[in-house]
Formats: sequence, C-alpha cells, structure tokens
Amino acid sequence: MMDKDSIPALAHGCRLHPTQDVLLVPEGTLQLAGPTRDVLARVDGTRTVTAIVDELLQEYEGADATEVRSDVLALLASLEQRGVVRAQR
Amino acid sequence: MTTAGSTPIAPPFSLIAELTHRCPLHCLYCSNPLALQGAENELSTEDWKRVFAQAGRLGVLHLHLTGGEPLVRGDLVELVSAARDSGLYVNMITSGVGLKEDRLSALVEAGLEHLQLSFQDQEEAAANHVAGARAHALKLALVPLIRKFPLALTVNLVVHRMNLDRLPEFIAMAEELGPDRLEIAHVQYYGWALKNRSMLMPTEDQVHRSIAIVEAAKQRLKGRIHLESVVPDYFGSFPKACVGGWGRQTILIDPIGQALPCHAAAVIPNLVFDNVRGHDLAWIWQESPAFERFRGDAWMSPTCLACPRKEQDFGGCRCQAFLLTGDAEAIDPVCTYSPHHSLLQTLRGQTPELLPIWRG
Repeated sequence: MMDKDSIPALAHGCRLHPTQDVLLVPEGTLQLAGPTRDVLARVDGTRTVTAIVDELLQEYEGADATEVRSDVLALLASLEQRGVVRAQR
Repeated sequence: MTTAGSTPIAPPFSLIAELTHRCPLHCLYCSNPLALQGAENELSTEDWKRVFAQAGRLGVLHLHLTGGEPLVRGDLVELVSAARDSGLYVNMITSGVGLKEDRLSALVEAGLEHLQLSFQDQEEAAANHVAGARAHALKLALVPLIRKFPLALTVNLVVHRMNLDRLPEFIAMAEELGPDRLEIAHVQYYGWALKNRSMLMPTEDQVHRSIAIVEAAKQRLKGRIHLESVVPDYFGSFPKACVGGWGRQTILIDPIGQALPCHAAAVIPNLVFDNVRGHDLAWIWQESPAFERFRGDAWMSPTCLACPRKEQDFGGCRCQAFLLTGDAEAIDPVCTYSPHHSLLQTLRGQTPELLPIWRG
C-alpha cells in the first residue's frame, strides 16, 4: 500500500512520453491530466511520497499542503492498482 | 454523413511490424495469412529503420514487433535500437523459442520495453499439440530469465474450445509465472485460424462460464497483475470496433513492406496495399486508397448510416463481413441488425470438427 513513506517507482515498461502528456505503458497510454505529469516526473524510485509532496508545494506556491498530500497519495494509489507504479519502502 | 478526407487524419496510435513470417511454431489459430512470405522477399534492415523513423515523425506511439517469430531476424537488436531512437515504445511479441540470456540482454540494452509471451495451454502435451511444436517447457523456463531484466512482461493465454474447460487452472499457471500483465484472448477467426474454426469455436456455455471466471480473476489479481481480456468473436449482439476502426489507430506493415489497416485486410478483394519500399508512411496513412477505403461512413449500408452505434464500432469488422457474407461492405454479421446474423447462431450450434489442420 502506498503511504507517505513509500518510495514509488514507475513499473518496468512504463515511461513518460518526452513531449506529449501521456504515460506510455504496455499496450497503451494513460492521459496525464493537470499536474499529474509533475508528480510522475518525480516518481523515480529514490524520492519518498513526502519528498515529492514537498517539492510540489515549493513549485505551486500557496497550495494547501494537506490537499496536495492527499491528491498525490490518491493518484499514486490508483496508478499502483493499475500496475504502472510500484511502491517500495 | 461524413466522408473520408474532409478533416485531418489523426496519426496511428500503433505500428505493427510483421518482421517475418518465418516461425518455429505452427499454431492452429495462427492469424497470419494463408500464403506466407518467404525470407527472400523480406524488408531489409535499412527499410525497417526508415519506416520506424517515418513512424516516429508521423506521431506513432507504440511499435509492436511481431511475425512470425521476430527472433529469427538476425538484425533484431539493431531494429530495436533504431525504433527507440525514433521515439517509439518497443514491444515484442514472441514465442521465446531460441531466446538466450545474452540476446535478451542485448535487446533490453537496445531499448526493448515490453515482451509478450503467449501460452497455448497449461497441460504440456495439449499446448505442444496446438502450437505444432514442443515449445511449452521452453516458454515456462524462459519466464524467470525474463524477470531478471527491467522489462514489462505480458503473458497471453489464447483460449478456445479445446482449453476453455481448464481456464481456472490456465489462469493459475499464468499467475504463478508472475507477469505484469495477463491477456486472455479468445481466438479470432482470421488467416489460418479460420481453417480450424469449427474445432476452435467455443460453445455458448463455455463462453458464458469463461466471462465469469475472467471477471473474478480480474478482481482477485487487481494491483498485482493487470488483466485484460478479448471477448470471443461471433457471440455478441453488436460488432467490435475492429482495430479501433479502419485506418483510425493501427497500421500494419507485413514482411515484404505492404501497409495494411489490419492483419486480415488482404482477404478483401480489390484492395491495393501500397508498399513502404515506394511510399512514405505518412502518405500511406493519410492518402493511400486502401486506408481511405472504409474511413468515414460513405461506404456504409443505410442501416449502419442511421445507427448511432456507428460512432462506437465504426461499422464493425470489414474482414469478418467479407469472410462471412462475401461482401466487404455488408453489415458485420455479429450485429443483430445484420440480415446474416442467423449465420452465427448456426455456427454456434455446430458439431466441432475433430481433425486439426496445421500449416505444412
């Protein structure tokens, strides 16, 4: 399960398209809406969820920390269910 | 009514590269055409590299390297590397026969991202029987090797009348192999598979049971293995949006360079498939007559024209319509509104053929 201490990584065979707002996955693409790309660009198997949220808060001045944290966790959890993000500890 | 060519045509989502028709397997349900191309006519390394570069510029996202067996191409590593340099996501559909660690390592190094391995049954003798080769044990042994590499793995279970009664055990076998994705695909009756249709076609009862089994597996495997299923042909009341619609999402290049809208399109008479040896991929996609042939709805019957479902299924499968009715413009007989729909009900009720037909 994804929590604030998890270290998310993209699953094998999943990567961000270099120019378009899509995540390339086996046999498909996932459209990246809103700030999803900014989140996934930081999902690299080294940063914790907390670290990712902190970086995003610096980028989006004035954003609500609680809201960003819960949005990021919900996004990563749903991508984990889809098998395109894996959580490490 | 919309006609083709009135609006700019979006690029294809995927390019299917049939690198060769040579294959160590002789599957009873092979989707390749009845007449296979020989090695002497295959596109060269440079031809394929040019096609991949053109595909990247056209905006294609996914490349599927397939065949036949792509591993029989001695230049496969070079092709994978060229495809990645062209910006394509590289998937390989393989039997795995003959794949050793050093070659797999070179393919991954070159940029291979996803490998798709299909299984014919979970019982070895039955699997080898369907494949026309002793491949089952080799495939099983290959999986742990594949898992050593940073590569997505899809296990594909091809199901039909002869193995559907063992579906739970078949899924359990796949689960144990631990792929990222699992595809459960009913055989489709094109190419060689059509010859064995009566033997492969499941009973209604098998189909209904399989749908429930697959749904349960989907829920159970959620978060571990992403399961996708391809529903069986001939059993629906409405047709599939075949290849996402003619000339809408997919372009297939066969081993000699002909560009087709799908695997089976060569069965349709009077279509001329332009060749990548003489034409740019963008021109073929946007302007060649074969791709324009069933775009839009100008070709449709009045029934389809008036039907709101035409925006979802784009008139169904043209090859199926031709193979079953002899008319490529006919309503897909899977559709309940087709005057030929009863044909499918007859086929569903038929006693199966007992003798399989393998490729020579």
